[in-house]
Amino acid sequence: MSLVAEALVSQIAAAEPWPENAALYQQMKEEQILLSDNASSLAVQAFLQMCSLPVQVVCRPNAEYMSPSGKVPFIHVGNQVVSELGPIVQFVKAKGHSLSDGLDEVQKAEMKAYMELVNNMLLTAELYLQWCDDATVEEITHPRYGSPYPWPLNRILAYQKQWEVRRKMKAIGWAGKSLEQVLEDVDQCCQALSQRLGTQPYFFNKLPTELDALVFGHLFTILTTQLTSDELSEKVKNYSNLVAFCRRIEQQYFEGRDKDSSSTSRFSKGPLLR
Amino acid sequence: MELYCWAAGWGLPSVDPDCLTVLTYARFTEAPLKLHKLSNPWRSPAGRLPALKTREEGVLSKTHEIITHLRKQKYNADYDLSARQGADTLAFMCLLEEKLLPALIHTFWVDAENYVVHTRKWYAEATPFPLNFFLPNRMHKQRLEQLQLLCGDDCLEDEERLEKLYHEARECLTLLSQRLGAQKFFFGDSPASLDAFVFSHLAPLLKAKLPNGKLQQHLKSLENLCNYCTSILSLYFPWDSGDPPATAPRPPAPEGSDSEEDPHKWRNQILSVLVALGAMISYAMLSGIVSIPWTEPSLPGRWPISLEEEEEKE
Repeated sequence: MSLVAEALVSQIAAAEPWPENAALYQQMKEEQILLSDNASSLAVQAFLQMCSLPVQVVCRPNAEYMSPSGKVPFIHVGNQVVSELGPIVQFVKAKGHSLSDGLDEVQKAEMKAYMELVNNMLLTAELYLQWCDDATVEEITHPRYGSPYPWPLNRILAYQKQWEVRRKMKAIGWAGKSLEQVLEDVDQCCQALSQRLGTQPYFFNKLPTELDALVFGHLFTILTTQLTSDELSEKVKNYSNLVAFCRRIEQQYFEGRDKDSSSTSRFSKGPLLR
Repeated sequence: MELYCWAAGWGLPSVDPDCLTVLTYARFTEAPLKLHKLSNPWRSPAGRLPALKTREEGVLSKTHEIITHLRKQKYNADYDLSARQGADTLAFMCLLEEKLLPALIHTFWVDAENYVVHTRKWYAEATPFPLNFFLPNRMHKQRLEQLQLLCGDDCLEDEERLEKLYHEARECLTLLSQRLGAQKFFFGDSPASLDAFVFSHLAPLLKAKLPNGKLQQHLKSLENLCNYCTSILSLYFPWDSGDPPATAPRPPAPEGSDSEEDPHKWRNQILSVLVALGAMISYAMLSGIVSIPWTEPSLPGRWPISLEEEEEKE
């Protein structure tokens, strides 16, 4: 979308209020969705909850191919389709809902920087684990990713995706990393987040922002997803304030909703957040 | 410890952001390094630049490994930072890497006008003879591939997505400027590793004479960032583009392209004579006009032909 078109769209968007039938699309939660997509989807759900905008979660096996950017999740609001957290935040802002209006310029810069920290380290580590760690690839990623398709398409699509992700890892210099190094990075990232959060209820004190939604989406998913080993979730569990932060947001924004959508993230029989 | 990095140019102590990061960090911490400024990456012990030759860990060639090593040797620029500032350092480095780096790669290496007039010109003039024919192109291809993987295969052809890339980079510069505010460095009065990282990515953009300066103009409009770069440059690199006296000889200043013109002409003339001679000899031999019973002489014929191929690539 060009900037002019974007400006036009946001003007149109501003004119219309948030509809009742807004929908968020993601892959099937029980048998298909992967860690990283689930984390991104949960982040968007948390963000919309924080803005108190109702959205219905719709699961489709081909959600990835329905999305305009090829990435999950995406929301369908009125006659518009927007994918990924960043553009969704922009879109919602155009409708007059924003979580970060109360921040000053320096805080806004810091918020953006921490969001990139999560994208750059946590998201990449999740992708690394699910596409480059052989045990996880064999046991979880391939069966789940290919689940809606018949043989041999399930293998072909999974290998195609794996090849694509591995090439990307090479470009950012992660291909040569070992699992230990990646876990070390996750630890470093969690440490930074934990330091930044301190004893505050949210990252910027009393009120939640999109950063809180993003961090919650990733950490909660990591904590509640059963993988081949629990090394990744152990790294997060070392930081008690981050675990408490996840629990707090879950209670505040997800407990009241109907059981079906609140169990989104628990797609596998993993332990719930204790 | 010995540090190998790219030579000076564009009014900077090193033209490569990674080398500049390490170099700036070393200056901030006053780490005693023996500096080798090279214009031939093959001379580096790691085969690439930057590289740090250490006694304990051998040769390190990744920027963060080098900085970690210096930190272990008690040359730590972040010693005075609180844990929260340490977290901020990591976050802003990620911001820079995700938002600004793709646009920087595009500005210097992929944008056709900038690459041909500015970047390739410098690297072709700085690198020694056989390398200058293919090294800049190879670096260009690597960067192009990296960028395609970072932002999708079709992003370079698609005007709108390219505009988005630059939009994000401009936003990132604005955020950095807001974060810096009126401070001297990002965390008050003394420089830290984040300063080394930010400075080394902004300074080339500020100093390079780019024909297509979309991003450069935005940086120049952010006064505090410009002052920040110039003050680091004058405080920590007082010899301007020159190098400290102890370094190895480097090629003549790339700005003085007039003096560079002549050796090139000579080189090209000699090369074309060689190629022509090679072609003639090989033709004479292949068509049987000249024949030598000995089998070896077919080898010198092959050599100039391979040179001809290289020249075509350029």
